[in-house]
Amino acid sequence: MTLTLLAQGIVKRYGGVIAVKDGHLEVQSGVVVTLVGANGSGKSTLSKVITGVVAPNEGQLLLNGVPVQFPTPQAAKKRGIAAVYQELSLIPDMTVAENIWLTNEPLLGGISLRRGEMRRKTQELLDLFAGTTSNNLTPDTLVNTLPPDERQIVEILKAISSQPRLVIFDEATASLDRSQVDRLFELIRQWKREGMAIVLITHRMDEIFRVADRVTVMRNGQTVGTVNAADTTDREIVQMMIEGAAAPDAGRMPQIDTTAPVRLEVRGLRCGRLQRADLTLRDGELLGLGGLQGQGQTELLLALFGALPYAGTVILGGKPVRFRHPRDAMKHGVAFVPGDRATEGLLLSRSILENFLLPSWQRYGIIHDVESARQDATTAARDLSLVYSTLDAPASSLSGGNAQKVVIGKWLLRRPKLLLLNDPTKGVDVGAKAEFYALLRQLTAQGTAVLFYSSDDDELLGLCNRVLVLQDGLVRDELSGERLTRENLVAASMGTTHEQR
Amino acid sequence: MNSVRLQHFLTRNTYLFSLLLLAILLSVNYSLQDNLFELRVLNNSMRTLLPLILLAVGQSVVVIGGGIDLSVGTMVSMLVAVLVKLINAESSAADIALAVLAACGVGIVAGSLNGLAVSYLRLQPIVTTYATSFIFSGVALLLLPRPGGQIPTELRRFYAQTPYGVPLSFYVIGVLLLLWTLIRSTRYAQYLFATGSHSQAAYTSGVPVRVVRFSTYVWAGFFAGLAATALTFSTGSGQANIGDNMTLDSIVAVVLGGTRLSGGKGGIAGAIIGVMILRVIRNVIFFADVPTWSQTLVNALIIIAALAGPGLFGLVRRMVKK
Repeated sequence: MTLTLLAQGIVKRYGGVIAVKDGHLEVQSGVVVTLVGANGSGKSTLSKVITGVVAPNEGQLLLNGVPVQFPTPQAAKKRGIAAVYQELSLIPDMTVAENIWLTNEPLLGGISLRRGEMRRKTQELLDLFAGTTSNNLTPDTLVNTLPPDERQIVEILKAISSQPRLVIFDEATASLDRSQVDRLFELIRQWKREGMAIVLITHRMDEIFRVADRVTVMRNGQTVGTVNAADTTDREIVQMMIEGAAAPDAGRMPQIDTTAPVRLEVRGLRCGRLQRADLTLRDGELLGLGGLQGQGQTELLLALFGALPYAGTVILGGKPVRFRHPRDAMKHGVAFVPGDRATEGLLLSRSILENFLLPSWQRYGIIHDVESARQDATTAARDLSLVYSTLDAPASSLSGGNAQKVVIGKWLLRRPKLLLLNDPTKGVDVGAKAEFYALLRQLTAQGTAVLFYSSDDDELLGLCNRVLVLQDGLVRDELSGERLTRENLVAASMGTTHEQR
Repeated sequence: MNSVRLQHFLTRNTYLFSLLLLAILLSVNYSLQDNLFELRVLNNSMRTLLPLILLAVGQSVVVIGGGIDLSVGTMVSMLVAVLVKLINAESSAADIALAVLAACGVGIVAGSLNGLAVSYLRLQPIVTTYATSFIFSGVALLLLPRPGGQIPTELRRFYAQTPYGVPLSFYVIGVLLLLWTLIRSTRYAQYLFATGSHSQAAYTSGVPVRVVRFSTYVWAGFFAGLAATALTFSTGSGQANIGDNMTLDSIVAVVLGGTRLSGGKGGIAGAIIGVMILRVIRNVIFFADVPTWSQTLVNALIIIAALAGPGLFGLVRRMVKK
């Protein structure tokens, strides 16, 4: 039975934020479509609309030409549409077999589970990946004892187990190793021949050309086009991903003094998803970290701040250091501004004053000299041109941009030598961003070295003189001078580099 | 492969640690009280334990599903009041059966009220069930302003039976365990554990999470009805606050039995063992001549030690591994 699914004119808003503003996607039986796009281009949201996880505000889905609606994931599943999600849908306390057949259990007389049958059919599915997984992966293994790659495989098998007609793989290869990816692609080709329709969301350019028949590109929530994989090049795909984007604001940082002392040197740093990072950062320099989200940027920053254990060498101010706790890093003049200020950066119910001084109280004696602390906080608030009622008001009373200033301001009181920024302007309005950039400029002028991860390409292009692009836990490219272009940034984040020009 | 099966077995049967603890405590108890296992003594203790056992079984279903029910105690008070109102010294067997059905029915309605609030209105289970507990307590006072009530003497004798030399309570426990084993092999049980373990993933997988959550509170209400029945049969009369203190005991018993308080792991066998542990600890303290004024403190300390047991176990194992 063949199937054609067409999504057209899809719009999805979250409050005032538009995640998808004009999404199109078409896929048929026996075809592999890859869906690509930069951060926030709406590819995950569009796929969730198709699988019934997210309800669209506008637009329609046509299944074999007939309009359909999927209010729940079950509704989509009933029509033969399954998905392998990025954030896994497995139950940690249940076995592999129980997870794969959840809601789809083979029953005896409609009541009692046929556990033997479940185990046998699970083994058949596991055999698809035989040779690429450990011996620990059996139908009876509890999912919470599995490593990420094997969990991902279970997730894939779970989607396949209902014998769907359309499967969406949302970055399903991200945590698989090479042999597992090879096996998955063999299987995808086989399923394709058997008439399955497949959508593959990926951030790896080489994967597009390995399995895809068609490539659908999204940009800023819009589908900008679909091309045949055989008729295109990686350069053309990159062009589609960036085409027509606004030129970044002027106002780059001044070129830095290449004779300035090296503040930070990192050699062969490994940490979780981050496989290897090497970098050098001078005093007064703003070094950008780019790439798609979740490629190891956050791990790099957290490792440098002593919040995650790591392997490798870190030399700070000419001396090798190994921080085991953020306290150690703070003693050495390192500061960290987290991405999610609501949960990591601020004590929302405590006063602005307390938030400012949280990392610095020890400077005010065992019995706090609150008056001088208050004076310092007032000065800092003025320097930041913070808009607030009183210092004793709770931090939750501040607007988004001002709250972020407090998060940064509390570190400025400590006069950091190295500032680590983890996507600090996410969800901050334009005006606040401009003030924030001015603050960065002021800091670097004073000689602070800044390592700046941003998921916003415009911001990196507009501010930095040098950007490291991470992909799959590796520094894929270092861009500076003429090579620091949007095209190169996007190409490197998809794992290709244009050396030739 | 063998280690996988063993691990599987240990995870499924979370009560094994509690069973060991119960065995140790029982031998201590026996050394202090040598008539412990005499039929008359055993039957007496089991008879007074059965209401809490039934209540803890209902509570464990709620806890496995990721919730908690702080209203089960006052629910028992209310249902005892219902029973005492419907039964008198001359009631026939049919009247009594109807009264029991009525108590279970009212329990199911009360449980549905909790279930609706928690699952469909998405209110916090702790706050919600604490609040509804006062509703039930209020109804109990309206129904039974003064302690009282009488039941036919045949009924008390029936409840005190020991067919084939085994107290009636053990037959009830046997039936409960059998039913649980049957339920455990249905799709409903898969849904229940999935919801308690990771409700978001369960929802994404197509589990009807709301219905499952709702159902756990209905079970708790139904078992409160059974508990009230057992309590009325054993005391022969009622008062409006008779069950109020049972709520916390039911939760402690569930946790003592190895059921995880955050949901997704455990079973009713653990709850039954947990109730027995609570009772045996009290016995030991009584027979060990602990001074009266220290009994509450000693009791609490032992319970805390028992609760911390599995955690300490894991901590020691991790330290040995390092």
